[in-house]
Amino acid sequence: MNKLNRRHFLRISSISGGGVLLSTLIPLSCSTKQADPDPFEWEPNFFIRIDTDNQITFSCSQSELGQGTSVGLSMIVADELGAKLEDLNIVFAEGSEEKFDHLQDTGGSNGLRMLWGPLREAAATTREILLEAAAQKWVCDKNQLYTEDGKVWHKNNDQSIEFGQLLDMAKDLVAPDEVSLKDKKDFKYIGRSVQSRKSQEIIRGRLPYSIDVQLPGMVYAAIQRCPVWKGSLLSFDDAAARAIPGVLDVIEMEPTELQAMDYRGGVRPGVAVIAENTWAAFEGKKALEIQWDLGPNAGKTENDLRKELENSKNNTQQVTYDIKDAQQAYRRGKSFLEARYESPFQVNACMEPLNAVADHKGYKVEIWAGTQAPQLTRDRIAELTELPPAAITVHNQPSGGGFGRRYFVDYVEEAVILSDIVKRPVKVTWSREDTIGTNKYHPFRTEYWSAALDERGYPLALSHHGVVERPNGFRPYPYGLPAVFHKWIDYQNGNLLPRASWRSVAAHPWGLGLECFIDELAEKAGRDPVQFRLELLDKAEIVPQKFHPWVGDDLYPKKLKRTLEVAAEKAGWGKSSGSNVFQGVSSFAYNTSYCSQIAEVSVNNDQLNIHKVTAVIDCGLAVNPSQVKAQIEGSIIWGLGALLKEPIRVSNGAVIQQNFHEYELMRMQECPEIEVHIIESEDPPSGTGEPAVPGIAPAVLNAVYAATGRRYRTLPFSLTQQNNS
Amino acid sequence: MAMYDLKINGKTHQVDVDPDTPILWVLRDHVKLLGTKYGCGIGQCGSCTIHLDGQAMRSCSLPVSAVAGKAITTIEGLSKNGDHPVQKAWIEHDVPQCGYCQAGQIMNAASLLKNNPNPSDADIDAAMNGNICRCGTYVRIKAAIKTAAKG
Repeated sequence: MNKLNRRHFLRISSISGGGVLLSTLIPLSCSTKQADPDPFEWEPNFFIRIDTDNQITFSCSQSELGQGTSVGLSMIVADELGAKLEDLNIVFAEGSEEKFDHLQDTGGSNGLRMLWGPLREAAATTREILLEAAAQKWVCDKNQLYTEDGKVWHKNNDQSIEFGQLLDMAKDLVAPDEVSLKDKKDFKYIGRSVQSRKSQEIIRGRLPYSIDVQLPGMVYAAIQRCPVWKGSLLSFDDAAARAIPGVLDVIEMEPTELQAMDYRGGVRPGVAVIAENTWAAFEGKKALEIQWDLGPNAGKTENDLRKELENSKNNTQQVTYDIKDAQQAYRRGKSFLEARYESPFQVNACMEPLNAVADHKGYKVEIWAGTQAPQLTRDRIAELTELPPAAITVHNQPSGGGFGRRYFVDYVEEAVILSDIVKRPVKVTWSREDTIGTNKYHPFRTEYWSAALDERGYPLALSHHGVVERPNGFRPYPYGLPAVFHKWIDYQNGNLLPRASWRSVAAHPWGLGLECFIDELAEKAGRDPVQFRLELLDKAEIVPQKFHPWVGDDLYPKKLKRTLEVAAEKAGWGKSSGSNVFQGVSSFAYNTSYCSQIAEVSVNNDQLNIHKVTAVIDCGLAVNPSQVKAQIEGSIIWGLGALLKEPIRVSNGAVIQQNFHEYELMRMQECPEIEVHIIESEDPPSGTGEPAVPGIAPAVLNAVYAATGRRYRTLPFSLTQQNNS
Repeated sequence: MAMYDLKINGKTHQVDVDPDTPILWVLRDHVKLLGTKYGCGIGQCGSCTIHLDGQAMRSCSLPVSAVAGKAITTIEGLSKNGDHPVQKAWIEHDVPQCGYCQAGQIMNAASLLKNNPNPSDADIDAAMNGNICRCGTYVRIKAAIKTAAKG
């Protein structure tokens, strides 16, 4: 078979593998021209494919969870290649370490930052090969040519040719050793807010989430999981469930072990109802009668964790990190300040409930899931099924929210295990009750800070016991004051609920403690909270924190300072906008991005009103400013939910809440006005999905202190809460 | 099981389902109209919002037996080309993030504007408060509704 036909064959086979799904990805503007009699597709790298009809496809390695990564990355491809953004066909790459190294899984607000270089280079290389092909075809100097709108153009005579018409030659050319990247002034899309194809699909109800996957012969499953973590199944009666029309089978769901890296899996024991449709599966599940052994966690609540963390703190003296001889400085304190901050369990509650489709054929497994970790999922499912990774295909779908939860593999494990048993494709859909009551959770954490102060109340040194043993790029310490860190404090009997990553992960409790405590220190020192931070950041040294490839750059306190200066200016810091309106501030760095926030609140008749939040973000070059702002807006509302709403509570080892009437999320009328400003920057882009989450609660709580004179250190906020001074 | 003739987006579909089946699951699993989303199953989040004879309804809590003879409109049928004023405003304001709740948001907003072409901020809050967006697109939803009202 010659090269051309082999490529043709590969293309057909990839379509037959997922034909039902691909129908939803047909480009909006279909070409009306005659098809090439011998069409083929050229794939110069694993991001870009061009076919002879000039359809340009971007194979997006990163996951789209709503954070706009696929939009930002496609803007980069369109600009560097010289293609029309609106004509670019965007598909999501299957999990593949051999194609994308180990950079494919989406977490830590890393997508744009990690791909900015490699993707531009891939697109630029493709462009240069196409230019070379055109130069040979037209017998002219390559330097007289440029690309735009999916064509190569001649600068002098306006002659043009579509990329698709050059593939016969391009496919036999070798890539140049070096390529130059476009100058910023030549970008057509990068730096501008664009209207995305994704949104066009969404407003028509056509974005293909995994919950929408339909396969021939597919059955639907719902699982009743053990309500208490570490409990086990004793027995069940399925007579009533089997009597429900549409129910096909009832199967014991054997647990999988929680892995050392907890995101690699860990399914609760349960009972699965297999049915002809989702509703029958849900109804069958409700009709099950199950006896559980609730195990060692039965009878426990988060109060037990609070005590365990307190004990752990009292017994943890081991110093893990000391900045600027803080232990020495601490001993010189004339007075001391101590504070304890508490952050309860939360759940991601993605609007698209967890779900996955698996087709386990015995010798190969195909998976359709909205996952943040297509590589990890492939690797773990290979391990679980004892098949080689090459036998596992993960078709990554856009997700209806991820926020960290879809980095975990357990919900895919369930579908694979059930498909292996029933020998058919299985779609497992979690009910909303499952996603709130028997999920994995943002952990219950406490943070202990103390400080030694000199005779004027100025901090000599800080001391920390809590969620980290030393600061890093995701939980940074930008202020430069001497500080000592201790071995992290932990639960004595393991976690009461299994852990999930939750937008900003440990930066959330870390930021709550740090940004509230800095405010308390400012007050002791007799300084304005903004001025105090500005002084510290001005003096602070650059903090080395690069952690390749996950953390992009060191921490530059002056960049954080700049966001704070702009926030203070934009929000009119110190100039009250109304008689009872008070301001609070936070400034937070997160993996190469910097965000300062100023909240304006009033407290009247024991009611907190949050009027406005002004946020300033430095995320390097803002590829798509509209999405940058959207991420900051969404992060603020996310963080406000954790600040204001009833968190996940545990009784007798089980989560009390089951649905949105009990675990309430922020709604429209509760949202403050949000104003976002972006710092102009020439630095490479960094992430925006998480940096604004940790700072919003401290900004509001610091404003509440200004309004009431009372420090609130426990989430959720309640004016009458105990446990505060 | 029982046979129902359902009028969906101007076409008649015959389905053979249990009479208690919520119209949400009839649309999704039987008629294969997948734009209407399951969010909570108890009418708390609005992801499943459709129009029944032009009025916004939560399809997760509406059994198929209750809708016979009534005209159902889903997101797929709101407009032919995605150009309903609300859809256009959603694009203009770059509203969607993950997009999962947006069909419900759009259907609810379209119903609001049909009943109240010039809603105040308070009207918008009141009408949209039953629709949850975990991504937090509320600020833009509100702005888009105002744009659609003007348009």
